[in-house]
Amino acid sequence: MTDAGLTAAMVSDAPAAARKRVVVAGRLLLAVLLVLGWELGARTLGSVFFAAPLDVAARIVTLARSGQLAADVASTLRVSALGFAIACVAGVLLPFLLRRSPRVSTAVEPYIMASMGIPKYALAPWLILWFGIGDLPKLVVVTLMVFYIIFITTTAGIRAVDQRLIAMARVAGAGETAIAREIIWKSLLPFFFTGLKVALPRAVSATIVGEFLVATEGVGHYIEYSRQVADTVGVFAGIVIAIVLVLAINAVVNVIERRALAWRPVEREMEL
Amino acid sequence: MSDPTLLEIRNLGKRFPARHGREPSPWVIQDLSFSVGTGEFLTIIGPSGAGKSTLLNMIAQIDTASAGEIVFNGETVNSHDARMLRPGFDRRIGYVTQDDNLLPWRTTIDNVLFPIEVQGRLNDETRAQADVLVRAVGLAGFERYYPHELSGGMRKRAALIRTLAYDPPVILMDEPFAAVDAQTRTQLQADLLTLWGLGRKTIIFVTHDITEAIALGDRALVLSRQPTRIAAEHAIPIPRPRNVQDIFALEGFAAVYQRIRSDIQ
Repeated sequence: MTDAGLTAAMVSDAPAAARKRVVVAGRLLLAVLLVLGWELGARTLGSVFFAAPLDVAARIVTLARSGQLAADVASTLRVSALGFAIACVAGVLLPFLLRRSPRVSTAVEPYIMASMGIPKYALAPWLILWFGIGDLPKLVVVTLMVFYIIFITTTAGIRAVDQRLIAMARVAGAGETAIAREIIWKSLLPFFFTGLKVALPRAVSATIVGEFLVATEGVGHYIEYSRQVADTVGVFAGIVIAIVLVLAINAVVNVIERRALAWRPVEREMEL
Repeated sequence: MSDPTLLEIRNLGKRFPARHGREPSPWVIQDLSFSVGTGEFLTIIGPSGAGKSTLLNMIAQIDTASAGEIVFNGETVNSHDARMLRPGFDRRIGYVTQDDNLLPWRTTIDNVLFPIEVQGRLNDETRAQADVLVRAVGLAGFERYYPHELSGGMRKRAALIRTLAYDPPVILMDEPFAAVDAQTRTQLQADLLTLWGLGRKTIIFVTHDITEAIALGDRALVLSRQPTRIAAEHAIPIPRPRNVQDIFALEGFAAVYQRIRSDIQ
């Protein structure tokens, strides 16, 4: 099998397509097993503790028909995406600025690390006090959650840049802006995408947890509301919707990553 | 030789500064002086660890000198302070390093055009010139390949023409062909001589290979060990154009080779 697999990978696309089919089939099999296990859990534990998959599916369809699904997803996405965007811009720009001044960088670093230790969710009551119960407190939590991940991966990426490439560019007449854009940014892209992938589910989770606390809509609000009225099916439906949301966003990031890092000699099947 | 002096190195010295309770290093390079004329092909031969790369880094202004000065076209540059360095001397000194330092995310042609692009000189004319160079070194058809898809020799060629493409009057070369096999190296040397013949740039070419130094240079300097100084200087009386493959057979080769060898020992 390994021999055949290796040869297949080297020779042509036809066996590669066949292998892809095997992978897809394997994934489907796992999904079926998961749903079966889920069904088994629901039957043994009872529907109060464990909602049955069919009930959950029916609920999602109902939510979709009534328009509530779209409204909740839109609300959650709006907060996640905005927080995510702010965090990415800040998390990338700050390391670039700190790089320009090693002294400021050393002075500031312990404070950034210390502030990272603040439990973000614990800020919620205080944030509500400040910003009320609109999107803003959730936005702050999401932004903070994502910011540190992007900040740390970007900083690591900047440290990992091959200094010889920078020296080459300087000799060739590149200014600092060109070096930042053409050398440092390009070579830290793999780090950045790793950060994105770690941060994305967290951004959605943080939004949902935020919605537990303060919200009138959103996936998190729906889960919390269902919990309050002891609607297990609703809780499960909300969780499934959240998972699908994360998977969908991840798929989009994968597409962008594949385009941005097309130059890399990485085997396609190795992608996460 | 008889050409006017373009670049002069005066009493250059290098020692690495004290750090973390470590004493400053002894002088790695000390009191090193030489000059290069316009259009001259100067080779510098030194054993490994003789500070050859350090010397070129100082001339390229990406490393500080601890003593001495560099005079370019009558302009004296004090490069003792890292903040005063002017890497590449405002695009007048190109540097082909030992590693090809190609940008892995750029294709061959985009790597070759990189200096021109960051200098803001990208236009139809500069693109056409780069194209000519790509063809001249046999990289036509590989313009859209990424560095990891090229052979070692192709990468060396790409790195070489990247520097030639933006046309700096002086080019430093740090054992650029050391990491390739003997046959490819001979081909690369021949290519380099052809390209040099077209533009007659000033080249300072550092190598540990005596044959290479003789095959390429108008003049060869021999470096001493620890601290590095100029131990000897030899004019290379072999007429051009030279056939690199048969350089051993050419008149004058054996004599120069013997003299340089005895200098090194």
